[in-house]
Amino acid sequence: MDFDWQHMLIELLVMPTLAFVVGLVMVLMARRLRARIERRVGPPFWQPLWDILKLYSKRTQVSHGHMHEISIIVLLGGMIAMEVFLPVPGFDTFAHHGDALTLIYLMMVPTLGMALGVSACANPNGSIGIARALTAMLAYDVPFIITVAGAAMLYGTTSLPEIIAIQQQQGLEGWGAVQMPLLALAALISMQAMLGKEPFEIYVAPAEIATGPMTEMSGKFLGSMFIMQCFQLYTVSVLYTTLFLGGGENWATFLIKIFVVVAIPMTLTNIFPRYKTEAVVAWLWKWPTAIALVGLFVVMMR
Amino acid sequence: MIPSLDLLLALAFGNLGLMLLAGRNPTAGLLSMILYALQGWVLVMLMPALAEGAASGLAFQVFGWSLSWELNGLGWFFAIITVGAAFFSAWFAAGAWGVQGTRSPWAFHVTLAANVAAMLLLLASRDLLTLFIGWELVTWAGYAMMIQSGGPATRAAYKYLIYGVAGGLAVLAAVVLIQVQAGGLGFAAVAAWMPGISTGMLWALMLLLGVGFGIKMAFLPFHRWQAEAYGESPGPAAAFLGAISSRMGLFGLLILLVHFIGLARLDELLLPLIGLDARILWMWLSALTIIIPTFIALKQNDARMLLAWHGIGQGGYMLLGVLVGSELGVAGGLLHVFNYATYQAVLFLVMGAVVYRTGTAHLDRLGGLITRMPLSYVAMLFAIIGLAGLPPMNGFVSKWMVYKALLDEGLPLLFVAAVIGTLGTILSVFKLIHNVFLGQLRVEHEQIREVPFSMWGPMIALSLIVFITGYMPGLALDLVMVAQTSLGFAALDYHLGGFVTDTGNLNMLAVVSVLLLGMGIGAGIFLLGGNKSKRVHQLDNYAGGHFLTTEVRYHYSHHFYAGLLRLIGPWYITLIKRLEGGIAALTDTLAAGSDGLYRTAYTPILMLAATVLGLALVL
Amino acid sequence: MNQQNFPVQVAPLESCREPGPEERSMLRKVLDRVGQYCQSRSLFVLHYCTGCGAIELPPSMTSRFDLERVGMQPMVTPRQADILLITGYLSVKTLKRVILTYEQMQSPKYVMGFGSCTINGGMYWNSYATVKRLGDYIPVDTYIAGCMPRPEAIQQGFLDLIERIDGGRAVAWKDYYRNYDRYLGHQQHLFGRDWLTPTDVVGEAAHYRLAGDGTLGPHTALLDQYAGYHQAWGVPREQYAELEASS
Repeated sequence: MDFDWQHMLIELLVMPTLAFVVGLVMVLMARRLRARIERRVGPPFWQPLWDILKLYSKRTQVSHGHMHEISIIVLLGGMIAMEVFLPVPGFDTFAHHGDALTLIYLMMVPTLGMALGVSACANPNGSIGIARALTAMLAYDVPFIITVAGAAMLYGTTSLPEIIAIQQQQGLEGWGAVQMPLLALAALISMQAMLGKEPFEIYVAPAEIATGPMTEMSGKFLGSMFIMQCFQLYTVSVLYTTLFLGGGENWATFLIKIFVVVAIPMTLTNIFPRYKTEAVVAWLWKWPTAIALVGLFVVMMR
Repeated sequence: MIPSLDLLLALAFGNLGLMLLAGRNPTAGLLSMILYALQGWVLVMLMPALAEGAASGLAFQVFGWSLSWELNGLGWFFAIITVGAAFFSAWFAAGAWGVQGTRSPWAFHVTLAANVAAMLLLLASRDLLTLFIGWELVTWAGYAMMIQSGGPATRAAYKYLIYGVAGGLAVLAAVVLIQVQAGGLGFAAVAAWMPGISTGMLWALMLLLGVGFGIKMAFLPFHRWQAEAYGESPGPAAAFLGAISSRMGLFGLLILLVHFIGLARLDELLLPLIGLDARILWMWLSALTIIIPTFIALKQNDARMLLAWHGIGQGGYMLLGVLVGSELGVAGGLLHVFNYATYQAVLFLVMGAVVYRTGTAHLDRLGGLITRMPLSYVAMLFAIIGLAGLPPMNGFVSKWMVYKALLDEGLPLLFVAAVIGTLGTILSVFKLIHNVFLGQLRVEHEQIREVPFSMWGPMIALSLIVFITGYMPGLALDLVMVAQTSLGFAALDYHLGGFVTDTGNLNMLAVVSVLLLGMGIGAGIFLLGGNKSKRVHQLDNYAGGHFLTTEVRYHYSHHFYAGLLRLIGPWYITLIKRLEGGIAALTDTLAAGSDGLYRTAYTPILMLAATVLGLALVL
Repeated sequence: MNQQNFPVQVAPLESCREPGPEERSMLRKVLDRVGQYCQSRSLFVLHYCTGCGAIELPPSMTSRFDLERVGMQPMVTPRQADILLITGYLSVKTLKRVILTYEQMQSPKYVMGFGSCTINGGMYWNSYATVKRLGDYIPVDTYIAGCMPRPEAIQQGFLDLIERIDGGRAVAWKDYYRNYDRYLGHQQHLFGRDWLTPTDVVGEAAHYRLAGDGTLGPHTALLDQYAGYHQAWGVPREQYAELEASS
């Protein structure tokens, strides 16, 4: 394999930056959507950025030990690495070095980093939050993994750039959402849970466990978790677009697709209350999993 | 000294003799470490000679049976792991642990040496008789190692022994069957006879070997003995047993089922009515071996039991990968043997260190040890990432290979099952590290210090191996390829960082480098981006305005994953308990039936029939 | 590390003073200005509503007035919050919690006293159990007078505060570090000589260079005196002796 150092370096720096900027706008969109549904005006345009800058500019920063700080570094590093491995228009050098499976497991690294840092704070609210987050992961990853298996069966590859190429060759007909609508639906539901939105918002639960993982996070620690939220919205929507919506031909259509993908769960979240933990698991293991299994069966029959 | 198999066996048995004589001496640990290192050196030197087989000059004639030994590539691969695991376990026990951590360092060193010697003998077997002898020696050596803590360990080891003897008898029956049918026990004779055997014979062999070796592997449904037996063993003994002992069963299955019978033959064995073939059945049993023990591990309250249950579950990945039968799958299964041995050893050693310092491995009675035992924490962190199978550690690579092989072969449901096992593993290893090392430090652990170098040395060294073979899986794959080609599979196309396949690539060099670079950028943003933080005391913590004091237990450890267990808790009782109850009832019925036959019904006639049959077979 | 990392800073805090505005580098000035701007545009509010007045907040937060327009959001724990909004009276018992909560917040932090009770005791002036002036115990940036103040008044208070933060004039929190001894004296007067929180205000003042003439004094000396007493809080002395002997 030949290494084009210059190009790789550009990707390494540009992709996370782009992801962060797009993620900021997505956060803004989510908050504006919420505000509009509640008949409010919502925050100003720069609000997500101001929040993060304010948290970083706090005078006092509370640390609960080295692990607390290292975990934030792992969290940011894992997120940055994840963005680099996503195939987006014009940047897919690194996407060839890993595949869908690598990306799914890479997505767990920041979560693990966050989990370790939160636990290092010695706050049971945080620990309960993490226990619930991991429980939710166990719940939503079952349907999600089935959809990934179905996509791998359909396209005959797990390489993300190739999946995009296959879909784009066939035009709209070849989109995963058209070819395997049931799997696309199941993935959409698990995406809602992956983003931790109602009705699956069990691990933040402010009224119950004081925002769970964020309980003891302050200043730049909390700011880093806000950054993580931007990256998370971007990553999940890009992954969904790649698997089901034909990826991006160019940045214009790509951005439209990922914003639409994010808008769906962000709208739905406002009309639901919160499930109990066991109800989340039971529901996700029942409906989306059943839909995904039927979808997988259909794909395998073809 | 010319490295040869003779030298290897001489070193192994010399070590056993030396430990028997001088095992009480404080330097015994160091001595055995040197001897294990020498054995490792001999093995490395033997590597070029493996293609034609490294034979031993040792040969016996017993009652007309010739016994001889020869090491092939597969045995060599397992031998490297065995000797490595023994080396690190002996290192752990060489210092303070041997003096204060155990009732009898002599028992530990002797049983470890005995286990290594027996395993090397098994791995170097050249015919089915030496295989069986090695098998029995391994079983009994394992028993000796398990009983050394006394108390509940004795009972667990006794349970193991009953299983082990039953498995040994099944293996013996298979060996006798082959001898009678093939007319010889040499591997050459067996290989020549195998292709022509009938389907009925194949079923019989598969079941006998499956039961015999499956018991040692703790393959479902023979998994009940293992967790207790390993969990109750003292730290380094559990590390050795957990890392490699059970893999002897995999070795037996690989030699006989995969190498001699061949996976293609298993496809011919169709189950009546269902239409599944035996290979798919094996694969689903492997998948269940992954899932059920993993979720039992999730419920454990004792760290060592949790790890031991995971050991059972991880065995499923190895067999699953091998049974896929593609180059990627076989390599993945074998690589998982190596990877698993590295991180499982670390985990048991860390728990040994924690028990050494705190006196307990109960997950509700620990917490916050990170400030007291940071090196143990780092070792455990690396190892749990490996066990969970996340990048950048080595467990991810082998699991990725198994997943990819399953997807490439068009087995998505098995892939989903394997991933569910991984998700369960992530949950349970997080509970482990959280409850032991993170959270609130208890008052009674205020004065604890880090374990001495003799104990953290092996943990850190092994966890570095976990990381390095994750960063550069090519290094470990070099070893795997020796075994894979010896098994009769084509060598896999790989490079230092991973694989290039038609259907998706993995380059761990790129993945880990980007991850590390990302962390560098993250560190830059985080450390330079704001004011320097100040460390606060653990009681300066949010509690809704409450004042925390040392008497307040502010650590969530009991009933971790309460929400999940409220849902799946009852399943354990209905599904698993009934499954186990069914197995127990079946065994009971069979035992009672045969007991009744012997006791009540025409004993002389049965004896006569058995004698006649035996004579007919032998003559 | 001690069991309880209570303030034991006895060295003079001369080197821990905040550098004057002129001593800062150009880069520092720019960064501080950007920080101030963002701090004024993004305010997370922690509501302390054990007294009364919580009912006035929903209209401010929701569609009627929508405080998110000016970047304000409710937050849950003191670690995340910028503004501590104290509505209504404080009893001696709840004041302890307020002080702990305030000390756990991250600077720059702002306190809003809401309603007459926080200013002069209000209708509870005669009560044996309530605190008359909140400002004696923690520094308050803004008071909103009234019983009850209307949502419009609350918003006016917030807007005032935003303006002062943007101008760098909302610095009451620095006073708590610089004159910690005075605040602690009032607290000790109310709660007793052995009053102690698990936070380390003096250590923070030293670490973040926020110390002043009044940081240490006779009252902080008492902290050191009682730190040992609290060190064994809930743990019998004998047990410590045993632990030390066994290690």
